[in-house]
Amino acid sequence: MAKFNVNSNAYIIIYSIVMVVVVAVLLAVTSLSLQSRQNENMLNEKRQQIVKALGENPETASYADVVAEAAMLDKGGKAISGKSEADVFSALNDLTASFEAGEFPVFKAKNGCVVIPVYGAGLWGPIWGYIALEPDMNTIKGIVMDHSGETPGLGAEITTDKVQSSFVGKTIFEGAELVSVSMRKGGATNNHEVDAISGGTKTCDGVNAMLKTCLEDYLPYLNTNKSN
Amino acid sequence: MNLKNLTGPLSANNPIIVQILGICSALAVTVKMEPAFVMGLSVIVVTAFANLVMSLLRKGIPSRIRIIVQLVVIAALVILVDQFLKAFVYDVSKQLSVYVGLIITNCIIMGRVEAYALGNKPWDSFMDGVGNGLGYAAILLIVAFFRELFGSGTLFDIRIIPESWYIANGGFYSNVGIMLFPPMALIIVGVIIWVHRSFNKDLQEK
Repeated sequence: MAKFNVNSNAYIIIYSIVMVVVVAVLLAVTSLSLQSRQNENMLNEKRQQIVKALGENPETASYADVVAEAAMLDKGGKAISGKSEADVFSALNDLTASFEAGEFPVFKAKNGCVVIPVYGAGLWGPIWGYIALEPDMNTIKGIVMDHSGETPGLGAEITTDKVQSSFVGKTIFEGAELVSVSMRKGGATNNHEVDAISGGTKTCDGVNAMLKTCLEDYLPYLNTNKSN
Repeated sequence: MNLKNLTGPLSANNPIIVQILGICSALAVTVKMEPAFVMGLSVIVVTAFANLVMSLLRKGIPSRIRIIVQLVVIAALVILVDQFLKAFVYDVSKQLSVYVGLIITNCIIMGRVEAYALGNKPWDSFMDGVGNGLGYAAILLIVAFFRELFGSGTLFDIRIIPESWYIANGGFYSNVGIMLFPPMALIIVGVIIWVHRSFNKDLQEK
């Protein structure tokens, strides 16, 4: 090293270029070699959440055991043909874009239940989940919710079984009107409400808005299948 | 001697409570034991290898771009750790979410690279990195122990305080809500520093 002047401009520029190229190659190789594994993990997580929303234990029941079909619906609630299961799952990665494009993913279970993906905004960041409806398209079979940054112990409680199980058996229709289910401060008073989380009001408001707006998008589909 | 590099940061030269480095993440990830544990592990890996790499490169680094080189090395290591967590322990990486990326800004790493690795041999630097990571992890776990036990009634998500004690179930107990918020971590760190200094009289400022 002694023969170089390590503080000359030429040396600094060459040093930076070599460093950046080496690091870039290293990171690119790692990223590419781990990518399939990471995608598999993410896909698995989604499958498990769908299974869990249907009230099954993801440890014992696999996605293939429980779900019959993954479909993509248009605005009118009709299935768009030619969409593979992979297409439906990749739409889940960006539900906002998918909904805006008029494509609505839905998962049909073997027992006639359907699972609808939902997304919204909590207090600190996005919240999302899957809501499963009984074959009557009215009663909630189960719900799974997740978040990226809600307050632990308060808003983040939406991920707990305690909160999620309180949705089971509630109904989303009042007569023919879609009223959705809301988390009510002060305790549930009817069959469209569940207890809110004290200290997590903003997150609960986010959950209410998420369920309402997303279920409304599926209204044509729910109506068609309800009458059958 | 290498051993001193390893054991010194555990108590007498602890990064958090003596050097006062890396407080920020100590506040953020100590709500539960599990993320604190994984964060501790990740920081051990990053400090150790950042120190090792920088120590190996130390004679060739132009001093004018020294900090930039450090940043590139540290950032690259953190991204590697993040990628590996995502591929092999997906659940944990989800829990840590943004905090893994924030290891880059952890002052311990740059502090140790700047203060130690640039002037010492690779193996000594590696041990110094492991030691400082361990010291950091130890404090994180102590803080997380109190915050999770009193804030959620669990440890590593295993219930410690029986459900039947809670007011909601007819008991007398309720969780201490403030434990879940960052200020409480600062207070606990303060208490640890206080206790630590009362046992180590030589650390007390005159």
